[in-house]
This record gives sequence, C-alpha cells and structure tokens, in this order.
Amino acid sequence: METVIIEEISKGHKTISRHKFQQDSITIGRGYHNDIIVSDPHVCPEHVSLEHNGEHWVAFDQESVNGSFLDDSKASAHQHIVRSGDIISIGNSQVRIVFPNHPVAESIRFSPLENFVNFASQPWLLTTVIALFSSVIGYLFFLGQAKEVTSSLIFVRAIGFTLMFALWPFGVALVSHLTKNNARVFAQLGVSFIFFNLWWLSDLLESLVAFNFSSNWPIVNVIALVPIAASFGLFWFNCYVSFHMSPVRRNVITVGLTILFFGGNFLIGLSKQPEFNPNPEYNATVLSPAFLFTPNTPAKDFVQSTNELFDKARAEADK
Amino acid sequence: MKKLLSLCFCLLIPLSLITKANAGEQAEQLFKQLAPSLYQIKLIDIASGEKSSIGSAFQITEDGLIATNYHVISGFARHPEKYKIEYLDNSGNTGLLTLKSVDIVNDLALVKRDVDENQTTNNYFKISATTPIKGEQLYSLGNPHDLGMIVVPGTYNGLKKESFNERIHFTGSVNSGMSGGPVVNKNAEVVGINVATSGNQIGFLVPHTKLVKLFSDYQELGGQNIVEQMATQLSANQEKLLNSMLNSQWQMRQLGNGQIPIIDAPFIRCWGDSNSDKTEALYFAAVAQCALDDDIYVDSRFFTGMVEMEFRYIESKKLSTTKFYHLYQNLFSRAGANNQVDKDDVSEFECAHNTITTRADEHGMAAKSAFCTRAYKDFPKLFDVVFISASVDQQQQGLISYFSLSGVEQALSQAFTEKFIEAVSWKQ
Repeated sequence: METVIIEEISKGHKTISRHKFQQDSITIGRGYHNDIIVSDPHVCPEHVSLEHNGEHWVAFDQESVNGSFLDDSKASAHQHIVRSGDIISIGNSQVRIVFPNHPVAESIRFSPLENFVNFASQPWLLTTVIALFSSVIGYLFFLGQAKEVTSSLIFVRAIGFTLMFALWPFGVALVSHLTKNNARVFAQLGVSFIFFNLWWLSDLLESLVAFNFSSNWPIVNVIALVPIAASFGLFWFNCYVSFHMSPVRRNVITVGLTILFFGGNFLIGLSKQPEFNPNPEYNATVLSPAFLFTPNTPAKDFVQSTNELFDKARAEADK
Repeated sequence: MKKLLSLCFCLLIPLSLITKANAGEQAEQLFKQLAPSLYQIKLIDIASGEKSSIGSAFQITEDGLIATNYHVISGFARHPEKYKIEYLDNSGNTGLLTLKSVDIVNDLALVKRDVDENQTTNNYFKISATTPIKGEQLYSLGNPHDLGMIVVPGTYNGLKKESFNERIHFTGSVNSGMSGGPVVNKNAEVVGINVATSGNQIGFLVPHTKLVKLFSDYQELGGQNIVEQMATQLSANQEKLLNSMLNSQWQMRQLGNGQIPIIDAPFIRCWGDSNSDKTEALYFAAVAQCALDDDIYVDSRFFTGMVEMEFRYIESKKLSTTKFYHLYQNLFSRAGANNQVDKDDVSEFECAHNTITTRADEHGMAAKSAFCTRAYKDFPKLFDVVFISASVDQQQQGLISYFSLSGVEQALSQAFTEKFIEAVSWKQ
C-alpha cells in the first residue's frame, strides 16, 4: 500500500482541498463512487485514475470526453508516470499529486514586520489607536463648528466616522476570509487604524509647513507625498496581513491600489475643474500663533517677491 | 433801486410761467429739428445676421461723424471680425458705419457714415460751449427698447460726486436703448450723452466736455488702432486713480482693537456691519468695506477699473485659541476678485503666500498674507490684483484685511500693496 496526497487546486494553484490516501489505486471523476469527487460539469463520471504499479504511480485517462492533460499543457496525461508535485488538468479543474517525501520550504522566522503586525493586533494597542482616531475626528468636528455643539453630537459624529473607517479593514478581512485566507481581523484593524492616524498626522504636518513656509519653499510639494506614502503603507500591510502572496505580487497590487485611490481622486478633481477659474487659489492655512516657528518676512520683501507672479501671469496671458 | 428790483421780480414770474407752458411745445420743436441727425445703432452679428445690441447715436459733423457710447459698439471694438455696425436714420435708411475712435473710460465712441461730397448736410448736432446750471431743463433723445425715437425732458442736477470719472446726474427717464443718445439744452446744443440709469427718474450722462476732447483728439490724430487706444486710456485711468488714492489722506479708524485705513477720497465709499446684536454668537465680528462706485465696461462679460477693500475684526473670549484660529482660517480662505471676466480676457490667478511682519517698527503685526494676480490678454500692462492678510499674533483676536484692484499696472499696484500692509495695525 502506497501513501499519496491528492490536492484539488484552483486555477491560480491555490489548494482547495487536500486528501491523503493509503491505497494502490485512486479514481477521480464526477461520479459519487470515486475517491476524489470533482463537481465540474466538464469532468466525466469516470475521468482519470492513478494506479501504482509497484514502482511508480501512472495516470490513466478513462476515455473521458475532454481528456486529461499535464498541468496547463496540451500533453496528454494518459499513461504518464507521475512525479511528486505533478498537476493534472481535468475539465476546468486541476489536481496535484504529492508524495509524502515531497520537500517543503524552510520554516520562516517571525520577521520584524510580522512582529509589528502581531503588536498591532494586541487589544490594548488596538483600543488605543481607535480611541485616538475617534478623539481626533471628534475634536476636528468640534473645531469646525461655528455654533455651540453638545458633547453627544460630537460623540455620535466621532463614533460614526470611526465605524465608517473600520469598514475598510473589515472589508479586507472579509475578502481574505472568502478567498480561503487567514482573515486576521484584529491585525487588520490595528494596522489600518495606525495608518489612519498617520493620515491626520500628515495633514497636520502639511498645515504646519504651509503656515510656516512661503509658497516658494521647494519642500512644500514633497510634503504632499506623505499621505500617498501613508496610503501605500496601509495597502501594503492590508495585503501582508491577510493574503499569502509573493513580495513582487504584493508590491504590484499595492501600487495598483494606491494609483487607483489617488489617481481616481485626481481624475475626479480634474473633471470637476472648470475650463477657466476666475477665483484665486492660494494656500489659506492659518494656525494659532503657537504653531508659528519661522521668522516673518518683512512686508517690503513679500511685495518684492510678487514680481515673479506678475511675470508668470503675463507669460500665461501671452500664451 | 427798489423799483428796479420789483420790476425784475415782476418780469421773472411771467417768464418762468412761459417756460413751463412751452416746455412741451419746445420739446416737440427740438425733436422735429434734430430728428434727421439722430440714429439708431445696431450691432449685427455677421454669422447669424441678427442684431446683438442696439443703442442711439447722433451726428456731430457735416461729413458723417457720429457719436455714441462705447458700450453700444463694444462688441465690435473687441471682436471686429464678428460684428458689423449698422445705422438706421429717421427716414428709415440704413447703412454701415466704421469705428474711428473710442474713449473706454468715459464710455464714448466715434463712428463714421460714408457721405458723398454733395450729400453733406448742415443738419448735425452742435456741442455746447458751456456747462448747464443746476435745475436747467434738458432734453434727452434716444430710442428706448427699440420703440422709436423719443424725447424725454429732465433736469440737470450737477455732477455725481462719488464718481471718479465725471458723470452728470440727470433727473429724467433714461432707458436702455437710449444709450449713446444726446442730451441737449433748449438751444439744441449737446451738453451730455445718455449712458446709464438707476431707475426711478435717475439717469447718468457723460459730460459734453469728454466728447469735445475725444473729437478734438480725433481731428488732430485721426483714427487710431482701437485696442492700443483702449490700452493707453485704461493705463492712464489706473495711474490717475491709484495716484489719487495713494496721495489722498489715509485716515486711521478703529475696528475692534485693530486700526484700519480709510482712504479719504470722495469716490471711495465705505459701509460697515457687525454682529454685536447677536448675543449667542461665539465671537464678535465687525466688518468695514470700502469700494469705488465706478467700473469700466470693456464688454458685456469683462469689467475693470474697480477698487474694493474689506477689513474684518474678530474677537472671542468664549473660544479656545485653537478653535478660534480654526474658524478664523475659514474667513481667510474666501478672497476673490471683484470684477467679472471671461477666460478670453485674462490669465488665471497666480498666487504666493507667506507670513509677514507688516511694519519694521514696534507696531508691526505678524500676518499670514496671500497675494494673487492675473494678467490681461489684450492690454499687456494691466493686471487684476487680490491681496488678503490675517493677523496671527494674538490669542483670541484677529484682523483680516483685503483689497482687490482691477486693471492696474504692476509698479503702482505694488506701491499700493505696501502702503496698505503698513497701514493696518493693532490699536496703539
């Protein structure tokens, strides 16, 4: 009696189910009498069988309608001597045959990233980052109200916004669960809210820079990249936490999501922009005196610096 | 002596009675006499063949030179390829007119009808050599709403004092379509040109002296490039206006704990408001606005020559500094230009911002300021300028100062900006 493992796998080579047998003959097909039952309409009731001839496992196509092939190729699997890890395509489905001595990859140590994710999913940290986020939302709402507001209204607003933001990690976890991955809801929540907090921090940083430096300061544009970087980080960790994928694939997906998110926003902004804007667009950041760190420019120098604007506007008009 | 006086008195009463009784008759006679040299002017859109604007006009020379308002023919002045100018005289004849000269600031234009040597006429308007006296009976002529030529009697009420460019205040119904029509005294001499109305018997006229100037310049220099002529006139006007403002006295007024300048010139008018009646408000706000009443019509979607200033003082004992500045920021973000423009007329605004010290001495305040400008496409020296500044050196009080100037040159607008920034401070 030989031991063999048969895996039903998806087109993307994800394992759907795994069965271990200790017998010399295994039948695969749609019929319920088979060892492996594949409910694919393109698979015959008796589709393919594997026989151990004392030395090797050999595949035999049972004169199926759509045939049996090796992996994704057109090579017939009939009478093929099976090696460990071989994939046989039947209909629209695939099975992989693995022998007990099939090598496995070396164990991976918890990386700093994994440690960070575990750290982020601890209840006390999770509570802290979510509480911090809601407080900031509530405070910003309070600051923006020109009339008196009751604390219950602020509370409702803060909780509402927090729940809305929580939809994202929950959504990612759900997708991960549905695609047979480890959802890790708490890790998703923790990581996501750490990055949501980074967003408002980057907003604050942007305001500080805009308030303290003139429009001529070159770093202003670099600061605008901070929220993009934070979003990239968020998406990267979303992928890292809940989905097993190669680093290249993860980076590609993250870059794609970031482009979709910011590019989409950018396009929406662009489409809303009128052909001609009769109003001036200037940076209107005003913070309290406590946030003013840089020395002020004398009025004369400021007026002098407007020469450049006149030149730019003139060049624009002459275009 | 006594006798003479009483005699005069006796003579005066019947005389004035006669004038009153004859006013209607006189108007009728004047109209009959002047009608042949009155025209309706139509701006015809060449592509559609239909009129796009109408106005009135009157002949001022024997060889067919006709005066009207600039705004009646502005479409042609701006886009000569799109329109043609047509006239219609009182006998129903029509023909084309050529644009000879404009005065965009005083809203006047000279157009010319082709006249054969033997067709010259003595039937044209004479321009008065004198200015009317207050209360004098005048007659406004024109074609309101395309209803046909009419005559409207009214009274001369002097010059409008708030006006930077002189306008006659005429008590009489000037309606649209009468624009460009002449206003004559009882001797049938032109003393003004219909230009605007405020409704309810308040009409405004361009003084005849402006027409005299335009006409004599035309005789001396001949027809000029219209766009260059407008550019020169707009430049000269902004120079006169800005210099006049810069040289006027800037009176310091108190607004809350702030000090703001009020330019002491008759053509700058100020208004104020505050929320001191609203006890439940989180902050106290007071605002003073000053503006020039005039504007210059370039075309139906392009106005210039405006000046506007606004000062806003905010104070709150109820709010934390952070919340105060959060709300204060909203007030800083809304500055805009005060003149209507189209994308073919100007570039978009270019802006710069910085935190500045308003003065070098101890009264200087720290302020976040933004300055924006856009350039005129047809007038290479002219710009619109918007400036806004918000004090950022007090815990729970702030002063926002704003101005916008339209159709100004770089150097003068910068000089104005500097003086404006220095003039705003905290109460000393």
